[in-house]
Amino acid sequence: MGTSVQVTPLSGVFNENPLSYLVSIDGFNFLIDCGWNDHFDPSLLQPLSKVASTIDAVLLSHPDTLHLGALPYAMKQLGLSAPVFSTEPVYRLGLLTMYDQYLSRRQVSEFDLFTLDDIDSAFQSVTRLTYSQNYHLSGEGIVVAPHVAGHLLGGTVWKITKDGEDVIYAVDYNRRKEKHLNGTVLESFVRPAVLITDAYNALHNQPPRQQREMFQDAISKTLRAGGNVLLPVDSAGRVLELLLILEDYWAEHSLNYPIYFLTYVSSSTIDYVKSFLEWMGDSITKSFETSRDNAFLLKHVTLLINKSELDNAPDGPKLVLASMASLEAGFSHDIFVEWASDVKNLVLFTERGQFGTLARMLQADPPPKAVKVTMSRRVPLVGEELIAYEEEQTRLKKEEALKASLVKEEESKASLGPDNNLSGDPMVIDANNANASADVVEPHGGRYRDILIDGFVPPSTSVAPMFPFYENNSEWDDFGEVINPDDYIIKDEDMDQAAMHIGGDDGKLDEGSASLILDAKPSKVVQVKCLLIFIDYEGRADGRSIKTILSHVAPLKLVLVHGSAEATEHLKQHCLKHVCPHVYTPQIEETIDVTSDLCAYKVQLSEKLMSNVLFKKLGDYEIAWVDAEVGKTENGMLSLLPISTPAPPHKSVLVGDLKMADLKPFLSSKGIQVEFAGGALRCGEYVTIRKVGPAGQKGGGSGTQQIVIEGPLCEDYYKIRAYLYSQFYLL
Amino acid sequence: MASVGQPPSLKRRDAPVSREGDQLIITPLGAGNEVGRSCVYMSYKGKTILFDCGIHPAYSGMAALPYFDEIDPSAIDVLLITHFHLDHAASLPYFLEKTTFKGRVFMTHATKAIYKLLLTDYVKVSKVSVEDMLFDEQDINRSMDKIEVLDFHQTVEVNGIKFWCYTAGHVLGAAMFMVDIAGVRVLYTGDYSREEDRHLRAAELPQFSPDICIIESTYGVQLHQPRNIREKRFTDVIHSTISQGGRVLIPAFALGRAQELLLILDEYWSNHPEFHNIPIYYASPLAKKCMAVYQTYILSMNERIRNQFANSNPFKFKHISPLNSIDDFSDVGPSVVMASPGGLQSGLSRQLFDIWCSDKKNACVIPGYVVEGTLAKTIISEPKEVTLMNGLTAPLNMQVHYISFSAHADYAQTSTFLKELMPPNIILVHGESHEMGRLKTKLMTELADCNTKIITPKNCQSVEMYFNSEKMAKTIGRLAEKTPEVGETVSGILVKKGFTYQIMAPDDLHIFSQLSTANITQRITVPYSGAFGVIKYRLEQIYESVESSTDEESGVPTLRVHDRVTLKQDSEKHISMHWTSDPISDMVSDSVVALVLNINREVPKVVVESEAIKSEEESGKKAEKVIHALLVSLFGDVKLGGNGKVVINVDGNVAHLDKQSGDVESENEGLKERVKTAFMRIQRAVKPIPLSAP
Repeated sequence: MGTSVQVTPLSGVFNENPLSYLVSIDGFNFLIDCGWNDHFDPSLLQPLSKVASTIDAVLLSHPDTLHLGALPYAMKQLGLSAPVFSTEPVYRLGLLTMYDQYLSRRQVSEFDLFTLDDIDSAFQSVTRLTYSQNYHLSGEGIVVAPHVAGHLLGGTVWKITKDGEDVIYAVDYNRRKEKHLNGTVLESFVRPAVLITDAYNALHNQPPRQQREMFQDAISKTLRAGGNVLLPVDSAGRVLELLLILEDYWAEHSLNYPIYFLTYVSSSTIDYVKSFLEWMGDSITKSFETSRDNAFLLKHVTLLINKSELDNAPDGPKLVLASMASLEAGFSHDIFVEWASDVKNLVLFTERGQFGTLARMLQADPPPKAVKVTMSRRVPLVGEELIAYEEEQTRLKKEEALKASLVKEEESKASLGPDNNLSGDPMVIDANNANASADVVEPHGGRYRDILIDGFVPPSTSVAPMFPFYENNSEWDDFGEVINPDDYIIKDEDMDQAAMHIGGDDGKLDEGSASLILDAKPSKVVQVKCLLIFIDYEGRADGRSIKTILSHVAPLKLVLVHGSAEATEHLKQHCLKHVCPHVYTPQIEETIDVTSDLCAYKVQLSEKLMSNVLFKKLGDYEIAWVDAEVGKTENGMLSLLPISTPAPPHKSVLVGDLKMADLKPFLSSKGIQVEFAGGALRCGEYVTIRKVGPAGQKGGGSGTQQIVIEGPLCEDYYKIRAYLYSQFYLL
Repeated sequence: MASVGQPPSLKRRDAPVSREGDQLIITPLGAGNEVGRSCVYMSYKGKTILFDCGIHPAYSGMAALPYFDEIDPSAIDVLLITHFHLDHAASLPYFLEKTTFKGRVFMTHATKAIYKLLLTDYVKVSKVSVEDMLFDEQDINRSMDKIEVLDFHQTVEVNGIKFWCYTAGHVLGAAMFMVDIAGVRVLYTGDYSREEDRHLRAAELPQFSPDICIIESTYGVQLHQPRNIREKRFTDVIHSTISQGGRVLIPAFALGRAQELLLILDEYWSNHPEFHNIPIYYASPLAKKCMAVYQTYILSMNERIRNQFANSNPFKFKHISPLNSIDDFSDVGPSVVMASPGGLQSGLSRQLFDIWCSDKKNACVIPGYVVEGTLAKTIISEPKEVTLMNGLTAPLNMQVHYISFSAHADYAQTSTFLKELMPPNIILVHGESHEMGRLKTKLMTELADCNTKIITPKNCQSVEMYFNSEKMAKTIGRLAEKTPEVGETVSGILVKKGFTYQIMAPDDLHIFSQLSTANITQRITVPYSGAFGVIKYRLEQIYESVESSTDEESGVPTLRVHDRVTLKQDSEKHISMHWTSDPISDMVSDSVVALVLNINREVPKVVVESEAIKSEEESGKKAEKVIHALLVSLFGDVKLGGNGKVVINVDGNVAHLDKQSGDVESENEGLKERVKTAFMRIQRAVKPIPLSAP
């Protein structure tokens, strides 16, 4: 019997949640991908926490949050301690993405699910592989090999092999060759035992290739009209492709509007990417080999790592690529809030936002006229809002200070004195409590948080408590609002007018404003007057090409994950009909057994037998009919010997794949008049050749092509039949 | 198992002899008992591989090439280049562009990028006449399109040949290739070093032990000084020279070791702020061009440099500035200059040497292997006087130091490497013959108890080995529902892809391979206006099984002959026949058609009995003749012996075939089997076909 294979999704089935799957091969547990979303909602990791300690190896496929975001948390809090495997770029860019996520989060809340050190230590255990490297897991007889996925730099289609049976994990692959990436090699795998793939794009079909023009037009129009363009992007993934496209466009049209690439890690990202040429597409490697032009020596793009640099940039139209793509946090969020109210500006989305994020909401059709965004601190309040805000301040200030010192305490373990005033005020705590629980309800109920929630939301099921933190109040009473300015040094650009002016000196934050940064919760209704456009640069195979690839790969068993319920169902139906009869769509934590019911045994082919076998070559294959007698070798192996009695006659087999479209020119080259008529091929005057039965289905069904040749008794008939036979091998 | 001999030719022969499939041949076409023009030919199971394609630096023109005329370039499947040095890669443009080679070429990314720069430079610098030029710049550019790249550890499969490469540590991008043909593994190390230095990783120890290891032996039984001592000597010399106000000249080849030395210098300067006003120059336009490559392919370097990369690119030197020519150089006070060529033959390094050699404050550090006959080699022995480029003589007062940073394995590394790898066969290449001989002797004593064969073939001398690889097949699908017992028969389609075999039922073919099967249904209409019953009657006379029934749809009568061919009366004027194609059915249908047509023509009745007997005798004789003719066409020398036996003589092997029983007697097992099968097949073809088939 075949190798036992079980698949248990831990997250990301029947929806677009982060990806995380448990694949167990003969008892060896692989965790494939370990994703989280931009909300960092620990409840999503519930299923993972139950199995984390049993994992034997982790395979990462792409360097973005959805595929590896939970790794640091899982390593620190959930007891995941297995070796991790990824390609070098996934390792490096994944690390940078996590840094960027952390720093962006840290900017708006006291994010404490994991720290930079946790990220570092999680990524320390990563073993880096190259594409097509067959890595033998010692002692298990299992070989893992990453292959090109084509979606992100270093993106991987994992092939896990045991005893000659392949389990392939391919999500977010791209068939199309891009500027910096080659297309996936998924199609080169045929008939794997199991294929685990996503249905994310099953219902999306990319429009034909006008997207580049649309993209360029939209940008240049806005810039020419004096507006600014914001591209919310990921930290180190698809943005690379966009940068190259923009570089080319700028060079081609000699534009001189500034392009800024703004993430906390932009400069190191590009530095690393420059040294990843061997992972990129042929055109990039080729141009480097011949002229040593590194495509990522960006000539038109300025790399920025904090927003003050952008604010200090000269006025005038500019294009900014800023992280996060979800607009939930990070620079893109801040810039959006600033720019959204100006009709001249353009916010250009290049990927679908994660479900339940601001980006997704703005991509709705028609786009909302105004959105209420969670404002931690940034937008200057004016008029009534300001007054209202100021009224709140007295109360808030105390509250913030309390929290600030709490956070401080947690972080540095510096023993801060107790604050009698605040601890004695039950009102504050109550308010806090109410606030927190109100916020928490939502993520509990539906997994998607409403965009309209005010303020930042403490993760409801966070293992580490955030606030309030009553037990220690006696400790910090004495010192009151002691704040270490170092803690806030990265939190520049406080634009709270109550404290100081926009663009004020970032370093000098007084206590009041510092506390406001931490937890000022005003929300603001941002009038969305700017132009919103969505142009698909996701770099994933679209529905049509997913189907083509799947029917080409034609796995014996197919597991569908990651995609909305409709998309999953749609693809399932399609695959049942056209790809293979075994399609599985497991639910979260549902274990499905995809052990192949394949029978197999090994035999030795004896020299005697082989010397009489005449192979016929057919493409990559060589085939022959064998009649053999089973014998045993000295060491007990079965061996095939030549048959002693005359072989029983067997039903002859015609091997070959006949394409009517190929047959036609072949016959006409032989001087026969051929034309297609009513689905049949008319040859000469009387003879017709037809293909009948279900076409296109592989894997399932009978799989045998049915060809009918009809005609009256005449010479032509036999001639054409001979030509038809010549298309096959007869065994 | 292994033997050294000279086969008549390595060119691919047409008719394979039975054992040849298991024969593995390795022939150095260059670098056999010499250093330079590395090129090793290997062939096994009809697959052919060439490792490296270098030139000999000491010769020029065609004489520098490996012995390509020993082989048929068009037969080579894969050409693997280990690294960019001229003695490993420089005849590649020639081989790709000027020979019939049509296989595929692979090298690592870094090697390919530097290969072009280095060879372009080589073409410009080498001052040979146009006829002697092996290739020009255009050939190099064209060759770039044919070269494919692979990454370390990436497994590539070409025509069933699997190969991948390991880090070799010699220069940036240097690789050791492991080739796997039908389970036999061969490791070719190229130039390698097991010592990690400032930027390169040490050569990896492959995960699997190869069956054959082709290994370099440049340093033979010599031992290197530890790296830290060499580095200390190097920096000490520079430190003391600079402190005394002298100048340091480092003549070095533009690529490879130069980068290592620059790293050492840059780091030393960073740690010694007092030197910050002392300039370091490196004067090589080629090195400058290659810097981009070094700055990019950081991933093939070691952890140390990759960690430094996290802060800044270590190949963006802070204290080292480029120098284009001597005119740009203002020789005021102490300085360190690294310049090419390494041998001080001419060029900038020589110009500076001429200026500085008579001052005893100055120093010259020779950092690596120098070729016999160059000035650098001469000054190592510290002569009193040297001849300048202008022909005058000058006193040699400057200090000369020879500190080798050469990244080849020494004896200690080679022997540990081989001991850990434990290959049953070792082939030494890339070494002067006396060094190689000493290495062989020493390794022999060290590996005495391991039954290891060590061979040192000369150029064009073939090493032949035999590997009996067992062919294993996997029976899968319906055919394997039950594991058969001894004596049972297995019949199915044997599918071979690369070197893997599978046996499966025809119905499973489309499941386990990309091949598909087809059924061809034939339908033919024959004009016939007689009664349907007549056909039935005639058919029953000839065939054993004729069933009649009526067609369900149209209600017309039908006949089914041997469950294969169905006849149907379509109209009064026509009958139709349909059947599924296969040779027997086709024949049955043909005979039915003939019969129907005969009835049409109302040709006289059935054949007479006696005729049939006569024809049987005749056909017996005819069959006899056919058998003989077929045997002759297969085996050539076929004579009729006594007792109805046939004597077959092939290459001195004699087989006796009994035509009655089909028994064959022969000394040679292979021939016996062949004759037996051939005879069986012939008989089957000549005898009537059994119609009882399923």
